[in-house]
Amino acid sequence: MPTARLPRPPSADRRRVVVALAALCADAIVSVRTANAAAFDLEALTALLARVRSGEATFVETRRIEMLDRTLTSSGRLSFKAPDVFVRETLKPRREKLAVDGNTLTTSIGERSRTLQLDASPEASVVVEAIRGTLTGNRAALERLFEPHVDGDAKSWTLELVPRDLRLRGQVASVRVAGRESTVREVRVLLADGDHSVMTIEPVAPGRAAP
Amino acid sequence: MTTAAPPRNRGRDRMAVALWLAAIAAALVVAWRAHYVADLSAFLPSAPTPEQAVLLDQLRSGATSRLVLIGIEGGPVGGDPDAAAAARAQASSRLAAALRASGRFASVHNGETSAWADAGKFVFAHRYLLSPAVDAERFSVAGLRDAIEQTVGLLGTPAGTLLKPILFRDPTGETLRIAEALTPARAPKVEHGVWVSRSAPRAVLVATTLADGADLDGQERALDAIDAASTAALSPGLGVVVSGAGRFAVESRARIKSEVERLAVLGSIAIVALLWLAFASLRALAVALLPVATGVVAGIAAVQLGFGQVHGMTLGFGTTLIGEAVDYAIYYLIQSRGAGAGQWRRESWPTVRLGLFTSLIGFAALVFTGFPGLAQLGVFSIAGLVAAAATTRFVFPVLVPEGAPGAGFRVRLAAAMRAAAAVLPRWRAGVAALAIASLAVVLLAPSPWRGELSALSPVSANELARDAALRADVGAADAGTLVAVAGNDEQGALAAAEAVDARLDALVADGVVVGYDSPARLLPPAKTQERRRAALPDEKTLRDRLAESTSGGPIAASRLEPFVADVGTARAQPPVTRAALAATPLAAAVDALLLPGDATRPWRALVNLHGRDGQAIDAARVRGAIVDVPGARIVAIKAELDAIYARFVREAEWQAALGAGAVALLLAWQLRSARRLAALGVPIAAATLVVLAALTLAGSALGILHLVGLLLTVAIGSNYALFFDHLRERDSADADTLASLLLANLTTVASFGLLASSSIPVLHAVGVVVAPGALLCLVFSAAWLGRPQARIAA
Repeated sequence: MPTARLPRPPSADRRRVVVALAALCADAIVSVRTANAAAFDLEALTALLARVRSGEATFVETRRIEMLDRTLTSSGRLSFKAPDVFVRETLKPRREKLAVDGNTLTTSIGERSRTLQLDASPEASVVVEAIRGTLTGNRAALERLFEPHVDGDAKSWTLELVPRDLRLRGQVASVRVAGRESTVREVRVLLADGDHSVMTIEPVAPGRAAP
Repeated sequence: MTTAAPPRNRGRDRMAVALWLAAIAAALVVAWRAHYVADLSAFLPSAPTPEQAVLLDQLRSGATSRLVLIGIEGGPVGGDPDAAAAARAQASSRLAAALRASGRFASVHNGETSAWADAGKFVFAHRYLLSPAVDAERFSVAGLRDAIEQTVGLLGTPAGTLLKPILFRDPTGETLRIAEALTPARAPKVEHGVWVSRSAPRAVLVATTLADGADLDGQERALDAIDAASTAALSPGLGVVVSGAGRFAVESRARIKSEVERLAVLGSIAIVALLWLAFASLRALAVALLPVATGVVAGIAAVQLGFGQVHGMTLGFGTTLIGEAVDYAIYYLIQSRGAGAGQWRRESWPTVRLGLFTSLIGFAALVFTGFPGLAQLGVFSIAGLVAAAATTRFVFPVLVPEGAPGAGFRVRLAAAMRAAAAVLPRWRAGVAALAIASLAVVLLAPSPWRGELSALSPVSANELARDAALRADVGAADAGTLVAVAGNDEQGALAAAEAVDARLDALVADGVVVGYDSPARLLPPAKTQERRRAALPDEKTLRDRLAESTSGGPIAASRLEPFVADVGTARAQPPVTRAALAATPLAAAVDALLLPGDATRPWRALVNLHGRDGQAIDAARVRGAIVDVPGARIVAIKAELDAIYARFVREAEWQAALGAGAVALLLAWQLRSARRLAALGVPIAAATLVVLAALTLAGSALGILHLVGLLLTVAIGSNYALFFDHLRERDSADADTLASLLLANLTTVASFGLLASSSIPVLHAVGVVVAPGALLCLVFSAAWLGRPQARIAA
């Protein structure tokens, strides 16, 4: 290493500036810390959600489609198991099943069953990951696909998920998940064309992990 | 009945020369008009079973051979991973557009949905003929209600976005049903709107050339188009990798061409140099090359007549013919000096002829190996050797009755050989010890016979690895499983494929297979399309049923008038044919799976099965499911290829054993002495063992061609042993004969040594065995069959 470029000793003026800056930084860090302690952010939310390793629930979903004469309603069961299994089984008005296991997505309607790879269909992965990622508290997956924004506190929170990819945002404008403590209670999907759906969730057999 | 003493029969001499000239002229005409090729299919084995026939059809000219895989790698200097991915995605878009515009590709896919716009329009326009869901029940009141409910159920999800614009024209969701059938279960990952690799930072594209896989010029033009387009489409820092059967074939052809030229030039130089050393006479040189030239022309003509084409690799191998054919000239020109043609014919010709026969037996084994390319090499060599020997035997006595003028270094060659012949016999024990040690190595070392079919291909392991990686990226792994069906015509094959599909659906439901690609999905048999069309109700009936089925539903019947109109149009549509598909990307997909037949083979349809990631497909379940479809066969590609190779190795072992046995029988019959035969066998066996042991110790993977090389070693090497035996029986060894032996050996070793230096595995494998094998045969023969003390006439 050449020694020619050693910094000159700072002048008194300069020293003062440095001290002032350091003080400012220290202030900022402290204020962020306090905010963290008080606010309920994605880290805290996913930590809370991740404590539930598996679960089952019933759901009722209503969809409002601008082209249609009336609102669509469906209902069925949801189940998930960490790290990456999620099943949505619609019982009414007709039986349908959507099962995700890792990167494999299987859809069954009546006798027909189709298997796809989730990462081959980004539109599908947006909707699937918004729910699966939230249920399992998978922060990395949520941050990879979405710009997440958490509101509220542990007692009652909402998680707003906007797709990072502009192309996808042209289809799914946002997914808004709401819940209480470690339980997801509602998923709202807003499509770019204005159609939207609301799924309300009622847990039936919460499987808690050992403390 | 040979007439040895002069005056010679001038009429017969003239006749011999005239016949020779006429034969050369005829052969030249055939050779001049011969069809020269350099593709690799000649080195695929011929197919003994129907499963293998399907497979090899595919490899030769099927869709597999037209597929080009393109990867875009790298990123702008200093960019972060996401920026690099975005740059690759943009480059993928530009490259795909440029390739589509180039007119050289039937399809170019990079994951962008826009590529399917044309196909989408076509499918939409013909949905009531193409959708598997269309039947009379679908258009009943209950069926309509059910179908509309199902379609509506997708609205409000991302999948519904695409449905909304066509909802009132296609409320039963037929377009979606077709799209589902067309979407492969194992699609590549999508990022930034284009296909990317799951294992590496790389955007991937799949193109299908318009040119047939066997049309190498067309393939080369397509590759050039990719080069040109990627220069324009790629931003700095990005690079493109291209793989696929077409690229391999084009590159191999270029390599074969340059190799053949190199071998021919170097082979000729080496032989001319050796001959110049031996004779130092232009005339002798010219004369010595006559049998060679005759042999080469005859070989080419024979291959053209027998196979309808001449492979470049055959010509490359042909350089060894130069080395072998020149031997006859050398024997004659040297041995007939002084003694004259008559004595040579009596004294030496029987030995030369016997040597010729053993060589012919060796090459005959090539003819029956089951690889058309190797069979060509065999026919070429047999015809060439016979022509060269015949030229020497019948034409030389007329042209050069007194042998060759000029001494050159021959005197020194003779002296060296005489010295060696005097010394070598003392090392007899050494030869025996070396042979026994080699035998021990061969018996005790792990078997080197682990060559595979791919070892015959000139494609390097690196290139194959890159190809495998790109294939994995796009879900086009080639070692898959397919079901093949046959039919008398297009409709027959499609109907059979449709029958297979119906049975596979049950397996998909059971999870035995994840999905399948079938030509009958893309292009249903005309009968099926007509049946669907017949199921469509007339306008009034449809309106009545719609009114009933939509009551209380989310869509009022009055909004579905566009649907009623489209069904009316469909009722008058003619069935979709292959020709109608031609303008769409679907044509390439159909062509990939539907192989036209001709007078000699039936139409074939292939149904490609997809298993779960990394899991083999349960072939027994599939076989059980399709057992009642006549002529349906399951083809597991890797297993079939391995089976083909294993069978050829087994056959080659038998052929080699038979060949070696035939050589031994021939020698036994000629020599009529068990003692001489046994003595003769020792140096040949020793040479073979030493070569085998050396290759084993060197860690080479030996395959079918090394085996062929060993047989040729026996066949050619026995020539030298025969001469030593001949000399021993006559109890004298004249210097000229010894010199001719050494010279003949050197030409053979030189030509096979050149082959060993080739980068083409087929040629290298033969050369690396025969070159040292032939040399050792000479040395060991001199040691084992020679006399220790020089009782050699000067």
